[in-house]
Amino acid sequence: MNFAFTDEQLALAATVRDVLRAHCPPAALRSERRPGWEQLAALGFFGLLLPPESDGLGLGLADVVPALEETGRACLPGPVVETAVAAPYLVAGAPKLASGTVCVSVLLPGQVYAPDADLANVIVVAGADGLRLVARESARLTPRPGADPCRPLFEVAFEESERLGGSAGPALRRATVATAAQLIGVARELLAVSVAYAKVRTQFGAAIGSFQAVKHQLADVAVAVEFAAPLVYRAALAVDGDAATVERDVSAAKAAAGEAATLAARVALQVHGAIGYTEELDLRFWIARAWSLSAAYGTTAAHRERVRAAVLGGDVRRYP
Amino acid sequence: MDLDFSPAEREFRAEVRDWLSTHAPGPLPSMDTPEGFAAHRAWEARLAGARLSVVSWPEEYGGRGASLIDWLIFEEEYWAAGAPARVTQNGIFLLAPCLMRFGTPEQRERWLPRMARGDDVWAQAWSEPEAGSDLAALISRAEPAPGGWRLYGHKTWSSRAAYASHGFGLFRTSGTRHKGLTYFMFPMDDVAVRPIAQLDGLPGFAELHFDGVFVDDSTVLGEVGEGWRIAMATTSSERGLTLRSPGRFLATADRLVTLARRSSAAGAPALADRAARCWTEAEAYRLHTFGTARKIMAGEEVGAAASMGKVFWSELDLRMHTLAMELLGERAGETPWLDGFLFSLAGPIYAGTNEIQRNIIAERVLGLPR
Repeated sequence: MNFAFTDEQLALAATVRDVLRAHCPPAALRSERRPGWEQLAALGFFGLLLPPESDGLGLGLADVVPALEETGRACLPGPVVETAVAAPYLVAGAPKLASGTVCVSVLLPGQVYAPDADLANVIVVAGADGLRLVARESARLTPRPGADPCRPLFEVAFEESERLGGSAGPALRRATVATAAQLIGVARELLAVSVAYAKVRTQFGAAIGSFQAVKHQLADVAVAVEFAAPLVYRAALAVDGDAATVERDVSAAKAAAGEAATLAARVALQVHGAIGYTEELDLRFWIARAWSLSAAYGTTAAHRERVRAAVLGGDVRRYP
Repeated sequence: MDLDFSPAEREFRAEVRDWLSTHAPGPLPSMDTPEGFAAHRAWEARLAGARLSVVSWPEEYGGRGASLIDWLIFEEEYWAAGAPARVTQNGIFLLAPCLMRFGTPEQRERWLPRMARGDDVWAQAWSEPEAGSDLAALISRAEPAPGGWRLYGHKTWSSRAAYASHGFGLFRTSGTRHKGLTYFMFPMDDVAVRPIAQLDGLPGFAELHFDGVFVDDSTVLGEVGEGWRIAMATTSSERGLTLRSPGRFLATADRLVTLARRSSAAGAPALADRAARCWTEAEAYRLHTFGTARKIMAGEEVGAAASMGKVFWSELDLRMHTLAMELLGERAGETPWLDGFLFSLAGPIYAGTNEIQRNIIAERVLGLPR
């Protein structure tokens, strides 16, 4: 029993964090669709979960959870979870996947729209008859309105496709946990930015962060994040170990992370006041990401309902 | 990162479970009654006989030198077995960690084995009428006397003090605020004790009056004037790991789910959702505590982060018991849930109110200005 990340796992996260600080600054969110991707690819980021025979590192999900948190902290645009986390369990053999030169979007059970499908070279679509691989040029994409300017959504139609073996389950579980990890990163950043602002913004002659009413809201965000994160880490281990409780653990993680991030977004907006309610402040990207990711791969409500059904249905087994 | 228990940890869990399954008593009378207090002390002695009363202590004081992970395992099994609340908890969870860290070898040998057996039961004498959450405002004082000290002042809201044999608390020996406080461990023999009935009508609290009570020099823990530092080590363990182990909340959450399932009100999805949410939150607290235990075992200080745990467990406990009251309605009083509900109401108040905890989180964890 050692419920803490190893030095290697933390070092990977630190590297990703440094790269994204340098190559995915907030200004890039306004001007680029995939800032930082090339540099992440150079690190081998897109091959972390791929097996060695596909030129990957064969890591487990738990190994990359801290790094995934960093992609949320940076509000990294593009189909990161789809390409780096889902694709290795759908199209591991696709050439150039490990090098990051192939970009993947997915439309798996529980999703309504394919995110960032316009950037994808291939789209994996789950249908009644199983998984299908759709080349970008065979897909007709219809943009759908969404809250997050950096995570556009698309309806996907197609004539030609290739049948894929396997099931959506392993990829879907991992994408859900990875999204939960990103939500934790988004929440941490929202908290950090709000705390920094509360220290410098003065009203009535004092920093607003000295007011108890503000302090207590921020403390509640800290508590929510602090106790959502371990559920995400546990879910990653449950996926890696194929634990008997894995479905319940994944849903518990996604729901808790979604709630922590939306609370962080709500409090961030309140602490920033009217300036926070503007397009010009970068904060809006993180707020929108909290909303878009908490709706992705099953809404918070859907995951809460799954946990309720499992627990009240009698599955009170503990993992570990 | 892994969540696998070692073979030795699994073996320990099996031993504890096995012993409790044959020895754990049914419900005892409240420890805040004379007969209940005696019954709880007798139970502590039985636990100590199996060397299960203080598993994480060194063997020389009655423990097993068990790791924090083993201690968490013990707690899970203890509460799952429905074993009684610990009448010795203020001593073993609050005083003992400080005694081990700051006490002299003589003090440790004198007090710890007796505490482990339930021979002595300790009450915490921190709060004063004008100094509850603002502990540094306390005014009770100790004056030097030949061979020791004389204690003067008034402590209150002291849990278990109506029947406890000993107390520990802070007294001012000089200075103001947190400077010049000294930590004393004293027998209750010469202290005037006035029991205070709690919401359940039982004397769970007491106020203590000191009118020149003499204590000898051996009752000072650590250096004179160092009481604040030592007390902070206590409150950090109180808010953090030791007072509220996840085992207690896991057992409550399991019973709550059973109750929600059995109750006709479980047909109400909103109540069922709240039960499942509480169950998950108890899990979150457990996992978080495994992480905290690992940090402590690696020599890291948990410090102000313990305040996050205090806010989380106290509000979770209240949510769980509030839901149970809603599920049970007028029948709640026929079950142990009513007592649990009354106790859970105290959670956001004791060990530093949750308002104070949120200030600590904001100022010392997040770095916001005072």
